[in-house]
Amino acid sequence: MNADFKESGFMYGLAIFVIGFVVLESVFFIVKAWKRGKELGISKETMKNTAFSSVMFTLAPAFSILATVFVLAGALGIVLPWIRLSVIGNLSYETVASETMLEVLGSSLRQPVTDPSQFGAVAWVMTVGATFPLVLLPIFCKMIQKKVTGAVHKSKESSHLADVVSAAAFIGIIAAFIARAINGKTADGVGDAGFMSIVTLVTAVVVSLLLETLCEKKKLSKLQPFAMPLSMFAAMGMAVLLNQVLPEAVTALTWWNHI
Amino acid sequence: MKNGKANERTYFDRVHTWGRLWTVGALLTLFSVPIAICLHYNVWPQAHDVFMALIKVLPIYWGTAIVEVATYTPMLGAGGTYLSFVTGNITNLKLPCGLNAMENAGVKSNSEEGEVISTIAIGVSAITTTVIIAAGVLLFAPFLGRLTDPDAVFAPAFTYVLPALFGALGAGYFKKHWKISVFPILVGVAVLLFAPTLPSGTLLFVTIVASIGGALAMLKLKWV
Repeated sequence: MNADFKESGFMYGLAIFVIGFVVLESVFFIVKAWKRGKELGISKETMKNTAFSSVMFTLAPAFSILATVFVLAGALGIVLPWIRLSVIGNLSYETVASETMLEVLGSSLRQPVTDPSQFGAVAWVMTVGATFPLVLLPIFCKMIQKKVTGAVHKSKESSHLADVVSAAAFIGIIAAFIARAINGKTADGVGDAGFMSIVTLVTAVVVSLLLETLCEKKKLSKLQPFAMPLSMFAAMGMAVLLNQVLPEAVTALTWWNHI
Repeated sequence: MKNGKANERTYFDRVHTWGRLWTVGALLTLFSVPIAICLHYNVWPQAHDVFMALIKVLPIYWGTAIVEVATYTPMLGAGGTYLSFVTGNITNLKLPCGLNAMENAGVKSNSEEGEVISTIAIGVSAITTTVIIAAGVLLFAPFLGRLTDPDAVFAPAFTYVLPALFGALGAGYFKKHWKISVFPILVGVAVLLFAPTLPSGTLLFVTIVASIGGALAMLKLKWV
């Protein structure tokens, strides 16, 4: 069997089936939420703004995910990574899962998989590892949310407590990535913390604060939903610009090169 | 906004019913992929080999899954949770997208309005991601290689996409909640001094616990 088995019509058919499911589920929930939003009196403009800003917000990370599809495509063909990163998959898990399976089989992601049996094994490991949250959700999701909602509506104090804890939990998530940009190291050394990560981070923060202030002072409510994605693109643009104009000794400077 | 209290429980109950059905459907759809590959090509990998790989990855990823379900579920709303866990890329995309939308719309994550806004944002984000990946795979394969190649002009944009994303997203939160923001960042930086390559899932757990712990302490001291 030749290497085309990874990108055969059958594989594309599988991809369309799986991706069709994801799109259908998303459309289903959007329609239900939109109808409920109308019943609750949420303005059409608010819901439209939510949709538009979500599209803008998603563009850069989606291209980043697409880049991972192409990284994995070298060994696995384009279709399996496409399927896996469209459903449940995330940047780090799919790479680790496939690399671990191929290592057990005496191969690696650095070379193309030519044996359909190895290909099938990789598909199994990617799937079994990633689907566990889907087993947990039907059992625990309702229970967790009932407890949280119950606690929040108990009293005014508990509502304030919930607001603080909810903000703190989200700040905790952001803090992990900010800390990584300040002081983190990656396994392959690409994107280690250093000059470039700090400048990108600071640019994003500064542009975001400037746009927020501009929106408030000039009452530009229509610009508000786009402030976050615009800040992100500005920071990414700064990374590209600095990489072009500064010497490599500066752009390649990380806290970990000298250790 | 009207008070939807009369329908509140009914709506949430209905979302959980739909969510459960779609989740079971997603499980069947996902497992159909390796099964179909093995049936179509008539190749069945050695169970022992698959087991040897799974034993290495499952403790990490199943452990992370438990933490993620417990952490993200209260923040994403019911519909947003079911959608996010099926479509994936939660930490780097769906969660910040949902929270950003709720912040912009001025609604709380534990309200029914928050539920609606979060579901719309995450659903739209999932469709956008799917369309971009599909279009990229089908149309732009040669072009994207040139964009993301380590030597390409635009490569740094993708290398530093996470500092850009979380810097932009965090700015507003840090301004509003600066008192509770400093401690978890310091904890994260300190942890990375000793374990610089700590996986994001583990680091997230540490900073979330530090952030909530710090916030509760400040609440007790009436600082927030």
